[in-house]
Amino acid sequence: MTDPLVWPVLLPLIAALFALVWPRRAAAIAVTGMAATLAASVWLLWRVAEQGSLVHALGGWQPGLGIALRADALAALLLLMSTLVGFATTWYANGYFTDTALRERFWPLWLLLITALHALLLSGDLFNLYVTLELMGLSAVVLAALGGGAEALRAALRYLVLGLIGSLAFLAGVALIYGRYGVLDMAALAPLLQPEPTAWTALALMSVGILIKSALFPLHFWLPPAHANAPAPVSALLSALVVKAAFYLLLRLWLDLFQPVVTQNAAWLLGWLGAAAVIWGSWQALRAERLKLMAAYSTVAQIGYLFLFFPLLTALPEGPARDTAFGALVLLALTHGFAKSGLFLAAGVVQRQAGHDRIAELGGTARNLPLTTFALALAGVALIGLPPSGGFLAKWQLMSTAVQLQFWPWLLVLGTGSLLAAAYVFRLLSHAFGAGDGAQRKLTSPGTELPALLLVLCATLVLGLGAAPLWDLLSAPPALEVSP
Amino acid sequence: MLSSSLIFALTGVALFALGLRGALLHPALLGRVLAINVSGAGVFMLLVALAYRGPAGNPDPLPHALVLTGIVVAVSATALALAMGRRLRQLEEQADD
Amino acid sequence: MIIDAWLLLDLILALLVLALGWASLASPDLKRGVTLFIAFGMLLALIWARLRAPDLALAEAVIGAGLTGALLLSALRDDPGLERPGGPGRDGSGWWLGLLTLALAGVMGWALTHALVWHPNSGQAQAIAAALPESGVSNPVTAVLLNFRAYDTFLELAVLLVAVLGILALGPARPAYRPAGPVLAGLSRWLLPLLVVTAGYLLWVGAHAPGGAFQAGALLAAAAVLLRLAGQADAGLPGPAARRWLLVAGVAAFIAVGLAGLLGSGAFLQYPAGWAGSLILLIESAATLSIAVTLALAFIGGRQSEIPVSPVEKESTPC
Repeated sequence: MTDPLVWPVLLPLIAALFALVWPRRAAAIAVTGMAATLAASVWLLWRVAEQGSLVHALGGWQPGLGIALRADALAALLLLMSTLVGFATTWYANGYFTDTALRERFWPLWLLLITALHALLLSGDLFNLYVTLELMGLSAVVLAALGGGAEALRAALRYLVLGLIGSLAFLAGVALIYGRYGVLDMAALAPLLQPEPTAWTALALMSVGILIKSALFPLHFWLPPAHANAPAPVSALLSALVVKAAFYLLLRLWLDLFQPVVTQNAAWLLGWLGAAAVIWGSWQALRAERLKLMAAYSTVAQIGYLFLFFPLLTALPEGPARDTAFGALVLLALTHGFAKSGLFLAAGVVQRQAGHDRIAELGGTARNLPLTTFALALAGVALIGLPPSGGFLAKWQLMSTAVQLQFWPWLLVLGTGSLLAAAYVFRLLSHAFGAGDGAQRKLTSPGTELPALLLVLCATLVLGLGAAPLWDLLSAPPALEVSP
Repeated sequence: MLSSSLIFALTGVALFALGLRGALLHPALLGRVLAINVSGAGVFMLLVALAYRGPAGNPDPLPHALVLTGIVVAVSATALALAMGRRLRQLEEQADD
Repeated sequence: MIIDAWLLLDLILALLVLALGWASLASPDLKRGVTLFIAFGMLLALIWARLRAPDLALAEAVIGAGLTGALLLSALRDDPGLERPGGPGRDGSGWWLGLLTLALAGVMGWALTHALVWHPNSGQAQAIAAALPESGVSNPVTAVLLNFRAYDTFLELAVLLVAVLGILALGPARPAYRPAGPVLAGLSRWLLPLLVVTAGYLLWVGAHAPGGAFQAGALLAAAAVLLRLAGQADAGLPGPAARRWLLVAGVAAFIAVGLAGLLGSGAFLQYPAGWAGSLILLIESAATLSIAVTLALAFIGGRQSEIPVSPVEKESTPC
């Protein structure tokens, strides 16, 4: 009972089961469940901050024979972000769905997606990660298609097929690992891995699988239609959390588990793909005519920024410089999580009020929905990377590390990306502040608009101002505890 | 040194790659679903081959458990994909009317 | 050079399964492709048996070939338009992707040979054998699934739940079949009780012989599929409220037992000493029901209340 590791997984799952057998109370069950989960993840972060990495040996068996749940600072921080975003979007989703039948189907699936995210972040076993990836993938696909028409269904189906391919590639890598090293527990495996054919092939397979799920260019093409056509709260979760969870797995593999196996060239490959993602994604976001499509392409670009860190991290030796760069990476990931979810929720409000989300016809939004427009603006601030947002600090650190290592192309990429981001944000805001009657004010409760606002405030103010006190946690290198 | 394990492990790899190609290229959804199943079977075969310890020894039970889990996950995903495909076709036909 | 007879058999099986896999994917006629895939599944079951994995052989035969085959054939029956291409740019890009996957297979084969031939690893087999007496069962696969790595099975039941919830959310059920003629009706009268009893047997025997919750649940689902094919639209399943409870039963049993372990011994899913066997049976029984209802609903394909009857089937049979 004194172990916080199981609760972030169990609480949303129990809520999902209750929501399924008690559909009339499903919304209340969901909110309660998410509140409890939030408390559990705060507790978890607290314990990790005190003790360092935590481990829970499920079934009481030695990890290797059994499965262990593990959390270090990175996992705990992402878990907290996931719970905060999950709670805010749950609150929002409560008011979003009006059709009763749809609501009944929505809640259990929603809670199961949250369960999957948490199970993935806390898993310490490679095959268990495969199961969590499948759980996450299937629930994300179903939610993306829920209540939508042919367009949403087509995009979700493509997501499903690609997701399954990715999971199989991951599983193939896991099979190779077990065949060669005989153990699936990550902490037990780490000292055994050496640069050799099996490790390289397994890492490549697992990485390709994860890269599909984290939508790195050029494997990103499934994301914009899927995220743009999903219901707003689902899009928020998909862009902010699901893609981030896959990225977390990549971090765990490349920087922690397979660290001796990773080569600088491989890291460069990821870095350059990230650079391409930044440019391509930002450019497509600028060209997008719909708000949600713009937000989806922005996700592609922001994921690219995260990958820019890879060659820097592998080039630096272990020490304070590397820790600082890593902290910036985590800060950027967290900022994007909050900002993007806030953006999608705000976009959902606009779409509900205006009946559409075509950017060119959104004139008058600022007048009719001031809170929401403010949220959009703050999200834009965080995405561009303006002070005082966490995005600013992270990108600044990225730039100085690149200068320190003399990786000049990264400065160009950063500059171009930020300019393009500024362009698409200002384009949106100029339409919103323009004249017109794009978003008539229908009856709307502040509860609908508040979650978005709170989320983007986290991205801009909380993370920006709170980065310094949290820095120890942010920059703690990924390291899983060895023995229970 | 050719052994049963190696034969089936390599066959598993071949099936995995074969299915992968089909999953990306097959024109029909049903074909892609078939291909994903074939690819999955390949990975399962790889695992079971790694677990094999010859006609006399007992096999390693852990990969067997993993494959059993995998078989169930595969049938769930197949059922979902087929249901989604069917629903998509329904919607497309309605739109055509 | 004398080739070992077993190796020869293995080579033949390997080539055969590759040929079947290739043929089922290369066939332009989807119906033929599905049929070849079912044969592929049966051959896989044979290969599992050859590789001394009887639990897998059972599961593959029922789930991999049987239920998946039924799902695929049912999909073909309902949607003859399935042959329509459903994605962007599929022609012409074929050959380089084929080359790429060939290269992938080559790399994996090399890594594999490197591992298997020069660095064989005994894996967890010894640890499992050592811990088996405490696990409460004597079938090592069941021990791994329901004790050592029970958390995987727990999450996997959640995966099943998500899939069926998704299927139920997508729309009405598939068209029902017309009532069975005398042959099918007579056969099902015999088969159904046999399937149910065998399922119960598999559940019970899984503790010390090949079998267990998945095989038993899938067999029950097969019985439901048989009922539906014989014309009974609800496939013998109870009403919607009862169905929800049955769907969650497996996961709920895991949580209940797991929490008891957490409160008692300190770790989630840690079985108290001496109780392991009974608790495993309890969880497996609940899981069998959940799996059966899940797979049956997946076959039926949607919301029960709106089952259409397809026009062809409305004609009465002259028999």
